[in-house]
Amino acid sequence: MPAASPPSPMALNIASPTPSMFKKRSSQTLAPMTSAASYLSALSQADARARNSREKTPTSTPALSLSSSITSSSEDTVLNESDLDNNADGLALPARPPTSEQVFTTVHTEFGHCANEAYRLTSQHTPGEPVPAHVEQDPPYYILLSTYISYLILIVIGHIRDFVGKRFSPKSYTHLMPRNGYAPLNSDFDSFYTRRLKTRMDECFSQPVTGVAGRTILLLDRISPDYNHTQILTGTRTRALNISSYNYLGFAQARGGCADAVEESIKRCGVSTCGARLTGGSSDLHTVAEALVAQFVGMEDALISSMGFATNSAYIPALVGKGCLVISDELNHASIRFGTRLSGAHVRMFKHNDMGSLESLLREVISQGQPKTHRPWKKILLIVEGLYSMEGTLLNLPGILELKKKYKFYLWVDEAHSIGALGPHGRGVCDYFGINPRSVDILMGTFTKSFGAAGGYIAGDKTMIDHLRVHGHLGPYGEAMTPPVLTQIVASMASIMGIANPGAPSSTSGAVVPIDTPASHPGPAKQSDLPAWLNLPPQLSSGAEGRSRLRRLAFNSRYLHRGLIKLGFITYGHPASPIVPLLLFNPGKMCMFHRMMKDRQTPIIVVVVAYPATPLVTSRVRFCVSAAHTKEDVDTVLRACDEVGDVLDLKHGIKKRERWDIEKIVNSAAELAAV
Amino acid sequence: MASSSTSLEPLFAFLATSLSKLEYAFNKLPGSAVIQRYVRSSHQNDPGRTILELILVIFAIRTLMQSRTRADRAEKHFIQFSDKEIDELVDEWTPEPLGPALSAAEQAELAAVPVVVGPNGPKPRLASTGKTATNVASFNFTGLAGNEHIQQRAVETLRKYGLGSCGPPGFYGTLDVHMDLERDIADFLGTEAAILYSQGFSTISSVIPAFCKRGDIIVADRGISFAIHKGIQISRSTVRWYDHNDLRSLEEVLESVEKERRKRKGPLTRRFIITEGIFEKDGAMVDLPKLIEIKYKYKYRLILDESFSFGTVGRTGRGLTELYNVPAEKVDMLVGSVAIGLCSSGGFCAGSQTVVDHQRINGPSFVFSASMPGLLAVSASEGINILRSTPSILTTLQENIRAARAILDRVDCISIPSHPASPIIHISIRSPSSTSLHPASAALSPVKPSNPASPLPRDAGTWDWDVEAEERLLQDVVEEALAQGVMITKAKRLRGQETVEARPSIRLAMSSALTKKETEKAVTVVKNALVKVLGRRR
Repeated sequence: MPAASPPSPMALNIASPTPSMFKKRSSQTLAPMTSAASYLSALSQADARARNSREKTPTSTPALSLSSSITSSSEDTVLNESDLDNNADGLALPARPPTSEQVFTTVHTEFGHCANEAYRLTSQHTPGEPVPAHVEQDPPYYILLSTYISYLILIVIGHIRDFVGKRFSPKSYTHLMPRNGYAPLNSDFDSFYTRRLKTRMDECFSQPVTGVAGRTILLLDRISPDYNHTQILTGTRTRALNISSYNYLGFAQARGGCADAVEESIKRCGVSTCGARLTGGSSDLHTVAEALVAQFVGMEDALISSMGFATNSAYIPALVGKGCLVISDELNHASIRFGTRLSGAHVRMFKHNDMGSLESLLREVISQGQPKTHRPWKKILLIVEGLYSMEGTLLNLPGILELKKKYKFYLWVDEAHSIGALGPHGRGVCDYFGINPRSVDILMGTFTKSFGAAGGYIAGDKTMIDHLRVHGHLGPYGEAMTPPVLTQIVASMASIMGIANPGAPSSTSGAVVPIDTPASHPGPAKQSDLPAWLNLPPQLSSGAEGRSRLRRLAFNSRYLHRGLIKLGFITYGHPASPIVPLLLFNPGKMCMFHRMMKDRQTPIIVVVVAYPATPLVTSRVRFCVSAAHTKEDVDTVLRACDEVGDVLDLKHGIKKRERWDIEKIVNSAAELAAV
Repeated sequence: MASSSTSLEPLFAFLATSLSKLEYAFNKLPGSAVIQRYVRSSHQNDPGRTILELILVIFAIRTLMQSRTRADRAEKHFIQFSDKEIDELVDEWTPEPLGPALSAAEQAELAAVPVVVGPNGPKPRLASTGKTATNVASFNFTGLAGNEHIQQRAVETLRKYGLGSCGPPGFYGTLDVHMDLERDIADFLGTEAAILYSQGFSTISSVIPAFCKRGDIIVADRGISFAIHKGIQISRSTVRWYDHNDLRSLEEVLESVEKERRKRKGPLTRRFIITEGIFEKDGAMVDLPKLIEIKYKYKYRLILDESFSFGTVGRTGRGLTELYNVPAEKVDMLVGSVAIGLCSSGGFCAGSQTVVDHQRINGPSFVFSASMPGLLAVSASEGINILRSTPSILTTLQENIRAARAILDRVDCISIPSHPASPIIHISIRSPSSTSLHPASAALSPVKPSNPASPLPRDAGTWDWDVEAEERLLQDVVEEALAQGVMITKAKRLRGQETVEARPSIRLAMSSALTKKETEKAVTVVKNALVKVLGRRR
């Protein structure tokens, strides 16, 4: 697109004539600011400016008529020239230009270029070391107190507004009151939280984006003229560093071997499989992918479902029912709760990742039997997650397997976040602890996160998987996974495993660090097991890039985690976890943190989570590290957190004299991560 | 006696000193004097009060210390065991196998599931035979699968968005193409807004619990699909059932619910009618104008599952609302499947802005699931464009359905409960004894009404078909047809998990991708297979 053309709502225009309130303008003035108050006043000025100029140029206001089709694929791809020319945000070009020997096959904005082999680690459990329990570090009392007071103020003001509003402006409350014999669709009590608390921070949620959710992401800028009741897209875009998407291994890519394979599969197999697995929707690609998944996780057989949520909610009821007991971690994902509720089984919960609580519960339920009748349980299924998405806690798998031997329960491990992200071979928690996966009964996981695809899988022994194929809800009723998604899974998984190709000369000699595969982990995928047309480039098929991705992710996770701790923040979770929650506590700080990160010279987008996803007081920001991030990207995040953390008074983790300076952290990153 | 008191002397001395120390420390505490004065004066005035207050404090501490997981122990059914007894009970306990092995019949059926090599479409190549077969099993009603324009647009989207969205819609998973598809669906149907779910099956079972809560009233059809049953189950609402596709029965049930409410004088709760456009179970079609009339009369909201009617009926495939010329706005929550209707993936719920916005926070499988891949959303948008611009697709589909029904309706060993315009045709075996399987003829027979609280219809006791034997016969038909180069499938059920066990049937899915001649040829093969296998039975 020529630079002189009039501003179109679709154009990627860095020097936008309509500066949005979220643009970088305010970031230049951010540095000397010392308090949140001064920041806020600056922000409101910027806001006013943006609105005024918006009124002057009505032609470029809302992009309500955003065309539903992309007119040309080349118009604004990630390699757009104007994007590369303008590297003011430091996202388009690598901090260190590549040398002539270094060849990068990825697009830097999707998958960062990082050639320094010092910034690599292996994700592995040190044998003998105890698995840390979930520790909740408390902030100073004044933080807790002010958090409670903030919620109190929000609730009181909300109720006052409701009370006054219903009397003086009944029109805007009609949907909350009984009307012409219809009860309100969302009852007043239910919707209070949404209307009075969540709406206030809606700018942190449901941000529309475009392009690849890779290392960076393009935000569609939006403003709200009426306190978040409506959000209007301004038509401009901002490229931001993406530390929020579940893109652990960086396979969210529009270029590269996997995307090429997907393109090939669309041409060969189309977009749809037209139906459920048992009724005419099965294809040979399903067979291939299921066999590969089984080999990848080290189980006998596996099945694939087209949605991660439904993998739990539709298959748990096929295994347990009346007379069975499900023991569930108190912080398990909603899909697990949904599935157990559908199953009709009795549910008991134990304290998050606490083996003591689990054992005492087990002793109680087995000795007592079913409620009232005291008959023994038909079966007991323990459902836990490998890595908890809001806490970053790593499952204490060795502890659970110890208990499993004695108490004979069945174990379902939801590896939605841990598969691909943990372990020296990326095979999840079992791999991380060096435990034979067959000692777990059911390994469930999703492809959304590490593999850049969609859907989920369940792996186990063949009898059970066949049982699920026939008796699971999705077999006869759910749509089968589509060919492009299947191909993405096969291609990304094969590139992590490497492809054994006896004919071709071994190309692994130049690999990063050879990892000797233990016997429990089956070696590379066989070429004959993959679709004949699948042709991955050598760096993928050798497994070299896959290994490098795993090691980059392991480094980035530990570096960010340790860095934040050294800066003085309160964080949760295991250092190996790519999910790094940073505690904010105050509800007001969530919006501020989100906005201050986004308004920086290098915009960073973050996910803030609050009640009801977390307990009321422990609102947090959750970083999701990716292999696509370079060490410099993590530096950027740490620097940003350092500055914002000072302004928002977030450093309550360790005493001031134990804290490290940001430069010290950045300079000794490799040592810090390797501790 | 004296010796014992001397030996205890050091203990008394220790107690005395520690007591005085404690007293000293207590006096040092800020505000201790106030407490002391309070206790003293209250004790002086009324010694009984001290005891009462002490009990209160102890009770408060006990309540605070009690953890909620212990609640079950307080129950009267709790039996106290010693550790050794528990160990024995643990040793004794043997669980049932987690996933029991399949029966021989189930195994054979699983092995017989057709697997397509390469693209699915009107004439896919099958893995089992290596040959192509005519496909009347897969859902490719409007022939969008294999459309080259859609494939090209999918590749373009891949090159811009990659594949996965890597996040739930709330956290940077909302792509512009998702918003475009939502708008396209809303425009296409004529509703204010629409919301996109990433799997068709999970859509309805998420929409229902988003609105229906405990205490709300659901009046549902007895013939609804498995997914709707699951949605109703998870909502925990009060459910009343009306006879399958019988709107007179619906009115009766609504009357009885109203009567019940007036009797109890309960508060006004949300009330919903839940039914399907074209029923997954048998292909019957609901009389939408009448249903809308009833819903307005009794002030209910309507949740209509159009999974099998969206993209298959109406002039351009807008579904029942187009077929009956009813504005889609009159359906409060219109649920459809993008996977079935538009040959992509996912599902949607269309309705007013309030209805849609509510689901963005309360629809479990919307909130807690990753959004669908961008290229699938674009494929669906393109599918809508094609349907809009080419009404001939739907004409061809309807012609094919008519041609198929013309052949099948003449076969007398089967019965077809499906509506003549339904793109899915269910074929079940006609029992020699009972001939009144059609809902229309069933409604004529004046028997006592069914119990609205039970999902089973009144004549459930008279169902005399042998499910296993019929399944086996129909599977023979499927295999016979496949041998003749026609791919069909039984309607697979989750026997044992279904609320109402449907009668075994073969489900044909018509497609506009086949010509009328090809359809006739394929259906004739099915007919011959039916006659051959079912003829053998007698």
